[in-house]
Formats: sequence, structure tokens, C-alpha cells
Amino acid sequence: MTWKEKLADKIPADWGREIDIYDTQMELRKLGKIDEKLFAETRLRRGAYGQRYDNGQRFDGFQTQHLKYPQTGLTKGPDTMWDAPGMQRIKIPFGGLNPRQLEVLADVAEEHSDGILHITTRQDFQLHFVHIEDTPSLMRRLAAVGITTREACGNSVRNVTACPLSGICRTEAFDVTPYAKALTYFLLGHPDTQDFGRKFKPAFSGCEDEACGLVHMHDLGGVAKIRDGKRGFKLFVGGGLGAVPYQAKVFADFLPVEELLPTAQAIARVFARLGEKQNRARARIKFLVDKLGIEEFKRLVAEERKILPPDPRWTQFPAVKEKPLKPASPLDSHRPEGFNAWLETNVYRQRQDGYATVTVACPLGDITSTQARQLADFVRKYSGDSIRTSVEQNLLIRWVSEADLPALYTDLKKIGLGEHGAGTILDMTACPGTDTCKLGIASSRGLARELRSQLAGKFFTMDAAVKGLRIKMSGCFNSCGQHHLADIGFYGNSRTIANRKVPHFQVLLGGQWQHNAGSYGLAIGSVPAKNVPIVVERITERFVRDRQGNESFQNFITRIGKAESRKMIEDLMVVPAYEKDPMFYSDWGDPREFSMGDIGMGECAGEVISALHFELGAAERMNFEAQLAHEAGQFAEADRLAYDSMLQAARGLVHEQWLDVPADPATVVKEFRARFASLFQPSLAAYLFRRHENAPAATAEAAHRLIEEAQLFIEGAHICADKVRQQK
Amino acid sequence: MTTHKYGVKLFFTNPSAKPLKDFIPVFHGWIQRQALPRHLLIDVHDYSHVHHGPGILLVAHEANLSIDEAEGRRGLVYIRKQPAPLREIVEAARQAAKLLGEPFDAGTFEIFVNDRLATPSAGQIAEATGGRVAQKKTDPRERLTFTVQAH
Repeated sequence: MTWKEKLADKIPADWGREIDIYDTQMELRKLGKIDEKLFAETRLRRGAYGQRYDNGQRFDGFQTQHLKYPQTGLTKGPDTMWDAPGMQRIKIPFGGLNPRQLEVLADVAEEHSDGILHITTRQDFQLHFVHIEDTPSLMRRLAAVGITTREACGNSVRNVTACPLSGICRTEAFDVTPYAKALTYFLLGHPDTQDFGRKFKPAFSGCEDEACGLVHMHDLGGVAKIRDGKRGFKLFVGGGLGAVPYQAKVFADFLPVEELLPTAQAIARVFARLGEKQNRARARIKFLVDKLGIEEFKRLVAEERKILPPDPRWTQFPAVKEKPLKPASPLDSHRPEGFNAWLETNVYRQRQDGYATVTVACPLGDITSTQARQLADFVRKYSGDSIRTSVEQNLLIRWVSEADLPALYTDLKKIGLGEHGAGTILDMTACPGTDTCKLGIASSRGLARELRSQLAGKFFTMDAAVKGLRIKMSGCFNSCGQHHLADIGFYGNSRTIANRKVPHFQVLLGGQWQHNAGSYGLAIGSVPAKNVPIVVERITERFVRDRQGNESFQNFITRIGKAESRKMIEDLMVVPAYEKDPMFYSDWGDPREFSMGDIGMGECAGEVISALHFELGAAERMNFEAQLAHEAGQFAEADRLAYDSMLQAARGLVHEQWLDVPADPATVVKEFRARFASLFQPSLAAYLFRRHENAPAATAEAAHRLIEEAQLFIEGAHICADKVRQQK
Repeated sequence: MTTHKYGVKLFFTNPSAKPLKDFIPVFHGWIQRQALPRHLLIDVHDYSHVHHGPGILLVAHEANLSIDEAEGRRGLVYIRKQPAPLREIVEAARQAAKLLGEPFDAGTFEIFVNDRLATPSAGQIAEATGGRVAQKKTDPRERLTFTVQAH
């Protein structure tokens, strides 16, 4: 029994088919029948990501070891060993999931990963140390409970995030959940989102002033607004963090909800058509908006919007109804030990009287499979079926009757998840950094673990203003840890001291989490990793000492200025000689002498594979399936698949010139003939025309011949595509 | 028994003797020397911040090893990822424990099936391990687990 067999009737047909195709592509890659770059982008678009050391090399503290994986020579991408452990990212749209989904996530984490579910800064889950050949089963198990990993990585529309308080928030204009959900499934696999030069991240927020969805740092963001009694969004475009952060520009002050999906589609088309494809460092939409200017960008989108073929899904917003399990009831006087501190930081009173949302603080975003199952039980016991992940790497249990809070706290304590301090200085955000990321320079998780442990002991004696600060860190300048948005942010870098590398962190001060990531922090200097705890201590002490009235940290930093801020840490930027203190030459939680030698090529950008390349890849896969059908004696099916593979290749070519080309064979053949007959080798084009004009032949010999012809036709399509490119 | 995805947990006899983090350099040392025969040792991961979790994890191609604290009981867990007979899996776990140099309970250990499609019986586990085997009562969602008493 396999998972495919066991779950056959539980997986939605289209999702099952997609995973079967992925499975086939894996087999084709093993047979050397598809190119490693194409396979890399294929797996990335299913969320199967590379991980540190997957090039087969690792610095062990003394020398670089060559890791001798069994399947030498087989790769899953450029310089990426087939057998090397990888990461599986799992999209959770708007962070919403139910207890059953959490249980399945727990099971797959145990069986295919390391028993840990890691919550990311974009409301996803990530599993680490996953073997590529386990990924189809893992995906099927998730698909059976309504979770897809499609487009979790690669140059695609990533997880659509949303404020985790949507629907229960006291200050939101309206619940953005139905719109986030609609946009997710509308853009998922949409033909207009398959030809991006880089990723595209949407986010939603219910209100403008709170942090919520961090709309200003997203490629596309919507803030809920009501105008004249009608729902709409203040729409933003072109924000992003990365090495150089950009604040999003206002695309529309008020966009009625009915226009949300078509406008997003038109934006996707403009991005696909005009976005940079060669230089990855300039390929996000923020660069396109910046280059064109927001007014010209808006004009192009408006033009595109006018010619979009209508789609009934544009106005279909799913009802997202959450029903509390228990009647609302007030909190009584019974307070277990530690409850009040937890209540203060981890409980949000919902706008619905008598209900509260509890933030389960997950240290560094990690929970074990066992904890996940127990959490699922607690959700069923106290809440019903509503869990959300947050961009602060925590889990939220919504709709808890206030009277149940002490019991829930006691239960959470029993499983080690009753920590107070959510949303405070203890609740640090960290990307995976050098633990698993190929781009990581310094250990963001190691630093977060150390800081957390040092600050936890001082928390109750801290000034309230310091308790409320946020610390976020990334292992490199790419900002996955969202360091730009923190009061105190860090990103990893390296300095060379007397020919030795020393892990450092750049210090950024004054970023703004509120107002949907209202402003970004400014760098004041880089300090050795081992001095970071002293940096935090010094900055927070100075803030408490010199703060004027209720001055915010951002205002305090602005007032004292960059030069004065730097003075606070200047002496800590000095690195002692190795002979004097070798500790500085290794990173937090890693005793190896620090090295930059393990940094690999990141896969965040994905491989730049054109939509046509994908279409031709799909044609090849269909042709392979035709061969399998033929081998199984299913000649009619083999004939159909071979014919379909030619149509697929022909449609791919037409699609380059006509985005909305329909899939019906008559149109495809007619358009192919009109547009490409002169560029295509006539004898090869004739294979398609002949089969299209004649009835299928279901004999073994005829089917075999058609498969051969179809393969040649696909070769012809590749040559034709090259000619078209040259002409361009 | 059609799976090779077994886990073995060998329990420490003095579980609080050493802070978890002290095992980080130990595992890095193993990688430097590729100290575990027939295993390609790859990386070390620190999960000491997680309650009753895998503690310190050593990732190999063939298996994941960890100083595990599940249920609050520290032990060495060996989870097989690549095909091998159960007898060899238990032997590999014992070999790793010996290399670790920590005192272990030699009499009783646990075997769990890290594959929810497989349901081997206690008899099959006994046959493969030569010990006295009883199925452990756990949450039915947890992995099928057996307690083995070595003869």
C-alpha cells in the first residue's frame, strides 16, 4: 500500500493529477530525460527547496569535506545533489488551518523530516532534512486534507498572507480572510502568473495603523476600507525587503472588492511581460514600479485590465464562517501561577464580547510533532477548528471563551507551550540562517536562542518600554527575518581579521512594525556576533535612561541621531585577536571555526525558466506518459497522449504571442499554422497537422509511430522557440 | 514488515548529567572523523529550545540521530531513513550509543515505526530483535511503539 493508493479518493482530482505529474518528472529527471534547471524550477514551484550543503561540500571546522552521497552524478538542480537533504515549504494561505491539518503536518514532519514543524515569517510551515523522493507522498498526504505546496517557492505567487486577527480584530474595517482566500486560489497556477522573473508576495490587512499584514513591504498589498458603505481595498504595489527595502506605492486609494482579482491579474500580466528576467537582483516588481514610475505602471495595468477576458471567479468570495465551540463567558477569579503574565502578553480580547485569541509562543517558530497533535486537541477542546499561523512565527488559537483561559493556559504549560512574552522583546523572529539556508552568513537562530535565554531571566525586572520592543534577525542581508521592521534588527555578515573570518551582525535601529511596516530601520554598524547581547543591553539601557516621557523607540533613535547611535556600539565593533579570544571566531551554537565557504547559490530566486520552457517540458512529460501507456498495451491512450503532447508544444508557442489562447485543438492548430508554419520545419509540423486531420489510430504500430513523430515535433518546437528568441 | 523506517530509542541512565548543548561539539567531532561506520554524517542541528524535542540532532544520509527528550526521558534516538534490516538498525543505534560514551540502559529500549503505512506486530519485532516485546500504549495518533527487553 502506498499513500497514493490509500488516499486516492481523498485528494482533489486536479491536485492529485499535479502531484502525479511531479512524480513523473522526478522519474524523468532520474532517467536524465529532463534538464536539471527545469527540474529545479519544477520542484521549487512545488515547494521543494534546496538546503545548505546540498552541493556536497561542508566545512567541518578544519577542512571542507566532500560528502559522498550514494547517487553520485544525479542532481536535482545545478550543483545540487539528489540525495542531499532539502527543505519542504508548505503554504498556509492567510495562515489558516484546522486541527486535522495540523495533525497531518505533525505526521509528515515526523516521517519525512526531523519531527519539527517550523513556522516561517510568511505564515508557511517548513520541514527540513527532507529527501526529494519523499516529497510526492508528503504532498499527497497534505493534499488529502486540503493543503497544497504548489508555488510555495520559485518565481511564482507565494503564500498570500493576512493579519491573523482577521475576523476577530477590534479595529479592522472588515474581515479580509475571504478575499485573501479568493486571491490565493484564483492566482494559484493561473496562466498569467507562470512567467515571472521572480517571486511575488501578496498580503492583506484589516486596518491601516496596526502591524497586521505588513502590507507596505509586499509586492501587492490590500488594506481593508469601507467607502460609502461598500467594501474595498487601499491597494499597494511594489514594496519589498531584501537587501534594499522599498516601501510599497499606493496603487489605488480605494479599489472595490469586485475589482481586486482582475486588478491583481492585470498586475501579474504587466509584471510577467515587462519585469526583468535576466538580472535576478532587479527582477522583483518593486524594481519595475520604480523604473516605470507608479503612474505609468498604473496606466499599463489599466490598459491590461480593459482587455482581460471576463472570469466568473472575480466576484466569488468564499464564505469563511468561524463558529465558536462554546458560549462566551467571562474570566473568573481563578488564576493559576504565571497566568497573569501570560494573560498580559499572549491574550487578545476579540471584538466579540467574551472571546479571546491566544498566541501560543513557539520558540524560534518551532514545535514538535507531539506538541502539534496536543495543540490540535486543545483547539478542539476550547475553540473549535480555527488556528492561524503568524508572521512572528507563532500559532494563534481563536474563539476561546474567556472563562476557559486559565484551563487552556494550564494545558499549554503541560506541553511546554505556556510561555508568556508573545509580541515582546522575548518573542524574537529569526530566519533559518546558517542552520539550513544556503545563503546564510551568520547564525540568526543561534543568536536568537542566546538572546532569548539571556533576556528571559531579566524580563520581569525590565522597564515596560523595553519589554515592548521587537528584535528580529536574519542570517544575511536578504531580510527573511524581517530585520528592517524591528526596533532592533540584525543581519548576518562577515569581517576578515588577520586572515580569519569573524561572524558579524549589522545593527539596524528604529524600524517600524506598526502601521503595516510603516518605516524601515537604519544600519548603524556591524558588530561581532558574540558582542550582540551586550549591544542589546547597552541600547535598551540607554533608551530607558534617556527616553523623554512616553517617547517611542523610533522617535528616540531619530532624536539622538545616527552618529550618537553608532557611538553606543563603536567599542563593541572591535574584534580581539584570535590568540586573545578565539571565541569570537566561531558563531553562536556552532563550535566550528567560522567560514564563509559553505555559502551556496540561493534558490529564493528560482531558476529563470520561461513559460514556454515549462510548456515544452509538459509536452515531453506527456510524450513519456504516452510511452508508458504504449508499454501497458493501452494504444488508444498512447495515441491520445502523443497527440496531446504535440498540441501542448504548439500551444506553448502560440501562448508566447497570445496570452489567452484557448486550449481547444482546432484553435491551437489554426493559430500554430498561422503564426509558426514559416519558422517550423515543415516535415515536423506535418506530424501535428496529419494527426489533427485524421481519426486516431489505435493499433500498436500506429500509436508507436505517432509517439516517435510527437517527440520529433517537440524537438521542432524547441528549435522554433530558439528562432523566435533570436528574432526578438 | 515491509518498512525500514524504524526508530530506536536507547535511554540514558543519568539523564541530567550533561547539558544538551554539550553534545553539539561531540556530534561535530563525529562529522570531522566520519566516526560512525557505514553512515555519511552531514550536519548538526540545535533544538535545545524545544520542549521535549529532538534536542541535538545529527543528520546523516542513512539516519537521523538525536539526543532526544521526548516524554521528558533523555535518550539517544536513531531513526533509519535508508533501507536496512531491523536487526542492523538496532545494532547501528547501539554502536552510536557506545561511541557517545554515555551510560545507557542496556536492558530496555524502544522501537517505533516511523511509517504510518506499516503495522508490524510485536512478534515480528521480537523475532528481529531477539528480545521480549510489548506494544506501548500511546495516543493512537503517535507512532506505533514497542518496548523491548533484551535477554
